[in-house]
Amino acid sequence: MVAVLTGGAVIGGELFLSGCKTGAKADAGFSASTVSLLDEVSETIIPATTTPGAKAAQVGEFMKVMVTDCYTEKQQAAFMKGIEALDEACNKMHGKSFMECSADQRHDLLISLEKEAKEFNEKRNETDKPLREEHEKKNSTLAWKDQTEFEGSPNHYYTMMKQLTLLGFFTSKTGMTETLRHIAVPGKYDGAFPYAKGDKAWAE
Amino acid sequence: MADNTYDAIVIGSGISGGWAAKELCEKGLKVLMLERGAEHKHIEDYNTAKKMPWEFEHRGNTTLQQKKDYPVIHRGWAASERVMDAWANEKDAPYTEVKPFTWWRVYRMGGRSVLWGRHSYRWSDLDFEANAKDGFGVDWPIRYKNIAPWYDHVEKFAGISGSLEGLPYLPDGQFLPPVPLNLVEKDVAAKIKKFYKGERHLINSRVANLTVPHNERTNCQFRNRCWEGCPFGGYFSTQSSTLPAAMKTNNLTVRPLSLVTKILYDKDKKKATGVEVMDTIDHKTYEYKAKIVFVCASALNSTWLLFNSATDIWPGGLGSSSGELGHNVMDHHYNLGASGDIEGYEDKTEYGRRPAGFYITRFANIPGDKKRNFVRGFGYQGGAGRQGWGRTVAELNIGSAFKEALTEPGSWRIGAGGFGEILPYHENKISLDHTVKDKWGLPVLSMDAELKENELKMRKDIKEELAAMLDAGGAKNIQTHDSGHAMGHGIHEMGTARMGLDPKTSVLNGNNQVWDALNVFVTDGACMTSSSCVNPSLTYMALTARAADFAVSELKKGNI
Repeated sequence: MVAVLTGGAVIGGELFLSGCKTGAKADAGFSASTVSLLDEVSETIIPATTTPGAKAAQVGEFMKVMVTDCYTEKQQAAFMKGIEALDEACNKMHGKSFMECSADQRHDLLISLEKEAKEFNEKRNETDKPLREEHEKKNSTLAWKDQTEFEGSPNHYYTMMKQLTLLGFFTSKTGMTETLRHIAVPGKYDGAFPYAKGDKAWAE
Repeated sequence: MADNTYDAIVIGSGISGGWAAKELCEKGLKVLMLERGAEHKHIEDYNTAKKMPWEFEHRGNTTLQQKKDYPVIHRGWAASERVMDAWANEKDAPYTEVKPFTWWRVYRMGGRSVLWGRHSYRWSDLDFEANAKDGFGVDWPIRYKNIAPWYDHVEKFAGISGSLEGLPYLPDGQFLPPVPLNLVEKDVAAKIKKFYKGERHLINSRVANLTVPHNERTNCQFRNRCWEGCPFGGYFSTQSSTLPAAMKTNNLTVRPLSLVTKILYDKDKKKATGVEVMDTIDHKTYEYKAKIVFVCASALNSTWLLFNSATDIWPGGLGSSSGELGHNVMDHHYNLGASGDIEGYEDKTEYGRRPAGFYITRFANIPGDKKRNFVRGFGYQGGAGRQGWGRTVAELNIGSAFKEALTEPGSWRIGAGGFGEILPYHENKISLDHTVKDKWGLPVLSMDAELKENELKMRKDIKEELAAMLDAGGAKNIQTHDSGHAMGHGIHEMGTARMGLDPKTSVLNGNNQVWDALNVFVTDGACMTSSSCVNPSLTYMALTARAADFAVSELKKGNI
């Protein structure tokens, strides 16, 4: 129960427990330059500060593993298309590719994508709603064994990238031990442990 | 003694099988323990338990391939990268669902004793008398006084941590110091107590985690990674506790990879003579003989074995004469609860990761409670803690400030989930499906069971009462959830070979003997006559130890 209340389960849960009926391709098509790009996207979301950022946590590589192994075909396709879409949006905003942009320019782009993704996901929810209802209606006429889970359209690609960034970073070694604090073997429990503003949160 | 002859055969190595082996060995019997799965050595084989969290490639998530291979495990929280090796292979060992039935199985040495929830509560006569009083199911052949000394016995060995509360319907036991509540939980408990005028109790969970060293075992290290297997042996499992005790006697032989296909029955003597075993690797069969057989294969598989032990005399299976074999499947229904924010306490956090939080004891349908539209009761398990990095941060989305904000803990949040009693309905049943065969050519189980009106009405109260209690406890923004419950999902499968007073309406007598074969004892969840609302494993332990004691005394008297 406590695990449900703390960080880890929230993002992983909603994203990865969604219906997966089709198998993933062996290689979703990540090149070294794609991984580098994703490293920079994640670094823009979680930058190095007094502690290392997402790039140092190899979040680009983590995204590759997760998208390849855990995403449905639909989600994979949306993610891969999103990598191109991100650069297109960047060109439109700054007249150059994401890799060529400064940290500030990258930041501005992602702030605009935050807004775009929010609107996209809301609209998607609306579009999916009648489809979901139709699916549920059809399900209700079927024997329970023939019922299928509704797989809605994937999130905006940026939402996927951000979720994977947070998951990848805050469960990485540097994320858990340098940005947050972690004790592998606490040895005891104290339910009223002093906390002062500025103290780091426990990683798990 | 011939190679294949023992005093006793124990089928299964989980919580019940481990206890049967320990008790019988310690009483001097030569025991053969049969386990269908592979060896899983204490500490040595707990491979993931020694990894750091960041060493898991998918950080705990399962892959699409695993989702495809383990669809049943993916119906809930059991699907974790850390424990996928534990679950029974769903392709090799399928089952049929007439109605949805979530069956989470571990076919490996120690069974589910390595992955169990460890909550350990005694039943009271409120539970043992329930069937007789409201008329659902048949009466239990025992009462609290018959099992109380056996609760003492198993608690002393297993090591149950808990607080002495003096509650009439949740008897205290032989407890180690409790796993502490945190300061928020203590305050919420006090507010609930005050609001409900001392009638409702938020107490420390009672769990089989050692809060102090016990019986040469190390205490819990507060890592909260129990289900991966504890490298410190900090909680009760077959591997950490009963198996080493049984081995110490030099009376135990363990044969893994041994699927028991049949109990061999001598119709003239009306007794079992032994078992037939299939080696799961080479599929060859072997026979082992013994004076007594303890069936502890986990509730539904124990009944599968009785079904598959059909003879000319008992075509419906060994123990089928009453017509109740396979019937009265029970579980605890859950997947519902509530949570809310707790303001303040910002100068405090937790240190260490507890293996359990709080327990809210049953208050529904106990003397003094209001009139409700269902019978029996429910309890809750929960915890409070500060929110982690998965929370949303107002006004911040990316960048340094966002990262800095997530570096600190969020506010406190409290939540709990309900566990409700399921009544024993004759029509909730399992049977053999001869049209589907498993990897070993054996017929599989078919599940035909569901929640009924009493459970569904209870679910409404479980949610509403919890929301009201959290409100009384000072929580804000309270949210309730209910994702429905398929039978089996509670992983507390019970019934199908119930105990009773009358061989015409029950499969087992008051000492867990099969009425139709008195040297066969079924002491796992299959034997349960009702389900109570508390976690059942401690009661299996006590019933097993009690039956083992009885069996040995009957053997000595020459009665079996």
